[in-house]
Amino acid sequence: MAREEYEMKVGFAADQKTVKIKIPDGDLKPWDLDTKFETVGTDVDRIDGIAKATGTAKYTFDVNLPGMLQGVMLRSNIPSGRVKKIDFEAASKMPGVRAIVPLKDPAEGRRNRVRWVGDPIAAVAADRREQALDAIEKIVVEYETSQAVIDMQDGEDAPKLEGGEITSPWPDKGNERMEEALGECKHTRSGTWFAEVQTHSALESHGHVCSWDDDKGTLEVWASTQATFGARFGLARALNIGGDKVTIHAEYVGGGFGAKFSPGTEGVACALLTREAKAPVKLMLDRFEEHTCAGNRPSALMQIRAGIDADNTITAWDYRCYGGPGYRGRGGRTTFPRSYLEDAHVRATQKDIATNTDAGRAMRAPGWPQGYFAGEGMIDALAEAAGIDPLEFRLHNESEKLREAEWRMGAEKFDWAKRWQPYGERDYGKRYLKGAGMASAMWGQMGHRGRGSPNAVKVRIHADGTVESRNGAQDIGTGMKTVLAMLTAEELQIPVGTIKVTMGDTNDPAGPASGGSTTTPSLAPAARLAAGMAKNELRTLVAEHLRVEEDKVTVENGRWGVPGGKTLLFEEACKLIGPQPIEKVGERTSNYKGYKNNVCGCQFAEVEVDTRTGFVRVTEMLGIQDCGTVIAKKLAESQVLGAMIGALSYTLHEQRIMDPKSGRMLNGDLMMYKIAGAADMPKLTAHMFPVANGKNSVGAAGLGEPPSVAGPAAIANAVANAIGAPVRNIPITPDQVLAAIDSKKGGK
Amino acid sequence: MTNKPPSRPEFSRRAFLKGASAVAAGSAVGHEIAAATQPESGATVFGTELHTIELTVNGKPKQVKVETRTTLLDALREGADLTGTKKVCDRGACGGCTVMLDGETVNSCMTLAFDAVGSKITTIEGLGTPDNLHPMQKAFVECDALQCGFCTPGMIVSATACVQKRGKPSLDQIKADMSGNICRCGTYTRVFEAIQKVGGQKVEGR
Ligand code: FES
Ligand code: FES
Repeated sequence: MAREEYEMKVGFAADQKTVKIKIPDGDLKPWDLDTKFETVGTDVDRIDGIAKATGTAKYTFDVNLPGMLQGVMLRSNIPSGRVKKIDFEAASKMPGVRAIVPLKDPAEGRRNRVRWVGDPIAAVAADRREQALDAIEKIVVEYETSQAVIDMQDGEDAPKLEGGEITSPWPDKGNERMEEALGECKHTRSGTWFAEVQTHSALESHGHVCSWDDDKGTLEVWASTQATFGARFGLARALNIGGDKVTIHAEYVGGGFGAKFSPGTEGVACALLTREAKAPVKLMLDRFEEHTCAGNRPSALMQIRAGIDADNTITAWDYRCYGGPGYRGRGGRTTFPRSYLEDAHVRATQKDIATNTDAGRAMRAPGWPQGYFAGEGMIDALAEAAGIDPLEFRLHNESEKLREAEWRMGAEKFDWAKRWQPYGERDYGKRYLKGAGMASAMWGQMGHRGRGSPNAVKVRIHADGTVESRNGAQDIGTGMKTVLAMLTAEELQIPVGTIKVTMGDTNDPAGPASGGSTTTPSLAPAARLAAGMAKNELRTLVAEHLRVEEDKVTVENGRWGVPGGKTLLFEEACKLIGPQPIEKVGERTSNYKGYKNNVCGCQFAEVEVDTRTGFVRVTEMLGIQDCGTVIAKKLAESQVLGAMIGALSYTLHEQRIMDPKSGRMLNGDLMMYKIAGAADMPKLTAHMFPVANGKNSVGAAGLGEPPSVAGPAAIANAVANAIGAPVRNIPITPDQVLAAIDSKKGGK
Repeated sequence: MTNKPPSRPEFSRRAFLKGASAVAAGSAVGHEIAAATQPESGATVFGTELHTIELTVNGKPKQVKVETRTTLLDALREGADLTGTKKVCDRGACGGCTVMLDGETVNSCMTLAFDAVGSKITTIEGLGTPDNLHPMQKAFVECDALQCGFCTPGMIVSATACVQKRGKPSLDQIKADMSGNICRCGTYTRVFEAIQKVGGQKVEGR
């Protein structure tokens, strides 16, 4: 492939680099540090905001088809065992019942196991939901129960704990060298941290509307999904039909946060029911199922021992983590901050402990908030050992130039020097104590070309001047549609409002699953390219019309033509198009080397602790976040704010409480499983830090995960700063705050 | 205030689910219509039969078929295909299903459809339309007080009620009034901005 050599400027003001790249044939010249934007980086209203604000946006939950049945699932009420017998006789005679499908097979060893309370047993479709609910009560299931492990601490592989600290010996492998490194340190510290399970709790529950066409053998599906193409793949396989026979729609999705990557058993059940009943079926999980059968952020028990040398440089770091990812027994890995550890001897050991509880799934930066909670907690402990301000200690050990700039910017905006309480004793006679904390963030995702068919975007320009941008992946609330519109607007020099973006239909070009912050960086370059190709086509028409050479035609200030000569407005130019619209598909190319492969970011928090009740209130939070080229600024800030709120909720409020006997979640609703609400809100500020990352023609990086990483650690560090003692448990509950204060008082 | 049960009837879903005796305590209106739609068998106990009731939604009469146990939320979403009102927890804990009943916000998942007969029901669709936005809807879009948008209709109904009631609410009043509405994407602070933007304006529940 012919490649054009190109030189571009990347980085940010204080750290600029010039890189040479070779642009693949047909691709656009990448935007860089010198690019001046018209639309990109400005505040534009979310393009589907009006549909959402007026209730006209149709989510999967809102799809009502003529003759549609309602599906409900029967789930196990024991945490461990086998299904010995299922009797559908009575259920099948219940009023309104139109189809029943078993989801366990008592006769087959692998398909009769019960792994947690909520394991799917069967599904029923009836004319009305009430009838389906009545019917599942009539299904008779005989179980053979076996011993269940509900709490990961009861697992065989669980470490020994004494007074909240892991006391099992550190692993042998590499231990000698580690002990040596620790032995050489001037100061060492160690500690154990625990983070409880968090459920995703997207407000639209998991579910589908499936409609089987018996004549054509096709399945049409509305899915609340983060992966339209994954849903098509999964459901086609479940029904053993070709992928061409399945269409997925997901125009609006009410949140996902990592729990909606596969159609799940509920999707398969819905598809089986519609084929069996030969009528459309809606099957949406209820809130209890959503909490107990739709994934969660695994718990993590973490221990770190680390040390610094006489120069306050971290030279030893030993980390181990026991993850609690539920019945599958994997996916509990955590990630700790490494940018401070350039000069350290590092060891990391991870082990998962299986329990008879719902399986963990990816959740907004999977494993990172837990690991950063422990890791940044240790950084604060080491800073205190060194006797220097946590900011200074971080700046000293930081290896990321970008974050260094962010630390400085954040500290100034947050007024760190005034808010952070110096080391020393706290006055517990005071009712309220304030403190401040900080933590870093990191994420490495710059998007990709896609496997099989490349990620692609289709742009159409119609003769009447309307413009479409289309991609088959989904916008789960991130603002992806608005991003596509803005990139198209930038390239064509037209207002964002004239562009109609369609996402979430698998008949359109392929796009990635919305996970790992991939959607924006993967699709943005394709969207820009498609618009650029359409623009060239329109330029050709303008040149023909004006009888000038094509390369003479420019687009300036919205006018198409030869500057100084005759020019056309966009709408006038479009009139040259005719009945067949200009239609171009831009395909994602591979990434360049660019500026760097990751984003950074940091967050600051201030809390006020009530020393009498132990209640913690976050009073202020500030997030500094880079994500390459900031496209839709207002929406990007919203996503950072949302992540900070999520962090506050996770750190102070959310707690899955399991009954160790029955294995049932005791607070599987939104009343007792507390999610932060309006009254818990601090003053929040999000500040975007633009970077020209040079990874592709747009240079955007994803934003779903990075701002989710730092918050819990920043809040926990602020609590420790306020009361002069750390609480190393998430959620940080009042009883633990009081215990921490008491331990300090007792220590006097 | 947000999420307070309606002051009028004692015929709540909770009371109903407790037992048939609650039926007798039901409001006169609900009882009358139910009686009129009772099956020919003349049974006096309400079962799972469907009854046709008439609801007044956004100023228009709507006939819906419901069981006695059907919530107002399901009647709106399935019976009247007004799906702007969302089902999230179905147990009065999240505010996603907030509508106005005679000008007061209620969780429609905690209100029986029967019980809303004779009341003026306002849903998100009744506040404004894409071509004729309610000021609160406009403010939510401008302040980007929505991400996935699933909590948004309930938020906007509560926010409208807050401004209708308070005029120009303080931040603390806004936080108190919006406490019944959960947002998982984390839009709260943007929501506060939107309400403050509209605060002081006269807003109708059209
Ligand atoms: S759905 Fe009614 S309050 Fe949650
Ligand atoms: S915007 Fe997604 S739940 Fe509020």
